[in-house]
Amino acid sequence: MKLAGETVLSAPRERVWNLFNDPARLAKLIPGCEKLEMLGPDEYGGTLNVGIASVKGVYSGKLKLEDKRAPAHYRMVVDGKGKQGFMRGSGTLDLEARGAKSTAVKYAGDVQVGGPLVQVGQRVIDSAAKMMLGQFFAAAEAELEAEAAGTVARQGLMLNLWRSIVRLVASLFRRT
Amino acid sequence: MYPSAFDYHRAASVKDALRMLSEYGEDGKLLAGGHSLIPIMKLRLAQPAHLIDLSGVRELAEIRDESGKIVVGAMATHRAVESSALVRAKLGLLAQCAAMIGDIQVRNRGTIGGSIAHADPAADYPAAVLALEGEITIEGAAGRRVVKAADFFLDLMTTAVRPGEIVTQLAFAPIPPGRGFAYLKHRQPASGFATVGVAAVIAIAKNATCESARVGITGLGPKPFRAKAVESALAGNPPAQATAAAAARAADGIDALADIHASAEFRAELARVYTRRALEAAMARAAV
Repeated sequence: MKLAGETVLSAPRERVWNLFNDPARLAKLIPGCEKLEMLGPDEYGGTLNVGIASVKGVYSGKLKLEDKRAPAHYRMVVDGKGKQGFMRGSGTLDLEARGAKSTAVKYAGDVQVGGPLVQVGQRVIDSAAKMMLGQFFAAAEAELEAEAAGTVARQGLMLNLWRSIVRLVASLFRRT
Repeated sequence: MYPSAFDYHRAASVKDALRMLSEYGEDGKLLAGGHSLIPIMKLRLAQPAHLIDLSGVRELAEIRDESGKIVVGAMATHRAVESSALVRAKLGLLAQCAAMIGDIQVRNRGTIGGSIAHADPAADYPAAVLALEGEITIEGAAGRRVVKAADFFLDLMTTAVRPGEIVTQLAFAPIPPGRGFAYLKHRQPASGFATVGVAAVIAIAKNATCESARVGITGLGPKPFRAKAVESALAGNPPAQATAAAAARAADGIDALADIHASAEFRAELARVYTRRALEAAMARAAV
């Protein structure tokens, strides 16, 4: 199965890169991800509980990041299996800045899927993968937006704090 | 191949089925005709611990005229729809579509509710249900709600039905006299599924232009859809002249499926060809 595409996320490249390298946050964005933990440098292990219609299953596997060039590129190697099938393959992820506020995410990969799942699922595996990718990017966009909103709120707080300090200092000086 | 062990429950009513669904939660699965569920259970891709059979719920299999609307119960088999005098008289397109599903064994067991709730991207019914602007009734613990066909199919095998809910019936306005309709499909020879299927309903105005067109397409993308680009290219134009150009837009904006039977390019081409043929067949039956 070949997967390739491009999507634009509304956040600067550094923030997208940081998100895509943060297993704790990624775990919340990946559809059905129950666990994602660091096994070593650039190596992660995890469990997915995914499926469509009545075909649901638990898959566990490893993900390795190679050829890492921050904040623009890495290669992913995946190897996972469950009761109903296995998948292994690799793909690349490229981040390109689109102006100051958005980033194009380009991905291309080739994944082999096998096992009983393919016997009945061959027709729909591609679309199921695309659907989950779509869900992932929608969640990533929401996460980046929430992060930006959080930053603005914190900046606002600091600014208010600073202003009150200035006022306090000024009033102290007026008194003297 | 044998499915893994499960408990079989026969629901006596919708209420009964809803109670069992909430009791068994993720381990419970509704059984309608079983033509999609049983094969995947035999491959052990699905291993529900509890099967809740709806075939004993009589009222779910009824087809009736309810103050002008045609109501088709979710458990009505394809054969029941295809042979219903009421459906044939008032909803010819649905009868035509039902008659083209699978083979006689499939039509004797498979149900309309099962088909749309499963939402296989190659299922026949969704194209007709979309073109007929059907309304789907869904019942759950919180009560019943009615969802328009256009809002029912959300994505690949994903519908507006939430966990714990049951599709109970479909309701349709009868096709007004004079409208032309047709369902045409490229049939996958082994399974009988639609590689691509197109349902069209056309109204011709007195000045011989196309008053309205409704086109539902299945098999092309991850979910069935209304081909709005085709519909708007036809509306207000003389149908004979506008058909080819309208049908050429059948696959516009759709991320076509690809598998060993048909590439994405071939599916898109099939959609254009079968849309043209379905429009022509519908026009041939339409009266001013």
